[in-house]
Amino acid sequence: MIRFLIPLICLVLFFMEPVFGLFSPLNVGGEWNYIVPRFLIMFLIFLTLYYDLKHAMFYGLFFGLLYDVFYIDIIGLYSFLYPAICLAAAAVFKRVPRNLLSATLLTLVLLAVFEFLLYQFFLLISLTGMPLGTFLTTRLWPTMVANSIFLVMLGWVFKSVMVTQLSERDNKIGLY
Amino acid sequence: MPQLLTNKRLILLLLGVILLVALISFSLRDRGNVSLPEQIIKDAVGAGQSVFSRPAHFVTGIFDNVDSLLNTFEENQHLKTRLEEFAGVQAEVKDLRSENEELKQIVGKEEDLRDYNPIQATVIARNPDQWEEKLILNRGSNHGVAENMAVMTARGLIGKVTLTTPTTSTVELISTLNPNYRVSAMVVGGAKDVFGLIEGYDAERRELLLKRIDADIELKEGDQVVSSGLGGIFPKGILIGTITEITIDEFGLTKLAYVKPAADFSLLNHVIIADRVVPEVDGEDNGVTGDDES
Repeated sequence: MIRFLIPLICLVLFFMEPVFGLFSPLNVGGEWNYIVPRFLIMFLIFLTLYYDLKHAMFYGLFFGLLYDVFYIDIIGLYSFLYPAICLAAAAVFKRVPRNLLSATLLTLVLLAVFEFLLYQFFLLISLTGMPLGTFLTTRLWPTMVANSIFLVMLGWVFKSVMVTQLSERDNKIGLY
Repeated sequence: MPQLLTNKRLILLLLGVILLVALISFSLRDRGNVSLPEQIIKDAVGAGQSVFSRPAHFVTGIFDNVDSLLNTFEENQHLKTRLEEFAGVQAEVKDLRSENEELKQIVGKEEDLRDYNPIQATVIARNPDQWEEKLILNRGSNHGVAENMAVMTARGLIGKVTLTTPTTSTVELISTLNPNYRVSAMVVGGAKDVFGLIEGYDAERRELLLKRIDADIELKEGDQVVSSGLGGIFPKGILIGTITEITIDEFGLTKLAYVKPAADFSLLNHVIIADRVVPEVDGEDNGVTGDDES
């Protein structure tokens, strides 16, 4: 039963994203702010750091494909970027001290990179004409603030879930 | 130090990139069509999504209710002043409607560009990454939704259907940057109806651009813009917005008006899909004219 906890969390986060997306754009003081919920990729980065890169990349590929087909209609965009970000997370995390603070900071930095790459892609295929300055102030900044609130609230839950899963798995291996 | 990129990995990476570029360009080329596996995935995800969107709509509904409760007093006073006008207007509308019916019968005209069958739908998701303005609705081709149908709220036009699967449909909002997205519109309120095209969206002002209006025609700020039905796709008379500013377009030959949309594009919940009674004409916008002859 507990084996399905991680895919279940992924699924719930995947469906939560568009629900929170309904609240955006948010008008704060006459400025329209775009808030993009990125719960799944943050969870996947945590999965890479505390559980297993292989699992994270697999889930990234699967949910990326769903995302591509359901929302974007461009297959290969998210299904490439999700695993790629996980890979980058694994590569960077080898060189930094392992604790919750560094994991949170790393996740936020990678999230910004992720957003920026998507912006560059959509600029390339001219689906958007947003100038860089507008992107930084009305999209990237609000998105980072909102997602960091989410991560600070739930990051330690993610971590504890994965650590218990990992110890359970190790115990099982020990049995055989 | 272990080497990150061995030869084998490098080749795999290159192959991956090639495959990726091929996939992206392939799916970019015909985004208007959905293949069968895509349809199955869309329907499955749509079913799951509607489970999650229901409680969300419930919560936003509560907020809306509280909000309207707070404004009750002011609204009530405002409505009371309008009520007396309303009775008169209603009688007049009834009279005009029956007269219109009679005249139509005399002329023998049965179909009207204004008539449409409404299909009620609920928004189950909004494209969460918001680079494109898209909605996903819980009604699809099984319920009679087809591509290019107009989508509106009670307040006005919001977009058109771009993709359908058996149980979901994708709507591209009118506030898109897509240059091929046009709505034939007309300005009402003057002595004569003025025709133009809604083409493009000013993201900073959050207003639509009404282009190709004859330079000689005088327009007023505050005039209402409705769909004209002449594009062959939308029914006639759906409210689009009101004019806020009139300028000359970039070539100096025709006029350009900024139109403030009547509908609110954020927090969309329930929408109406308009299935026009008069058959839709396949135009340049959907590019399937050739297919129909077979």
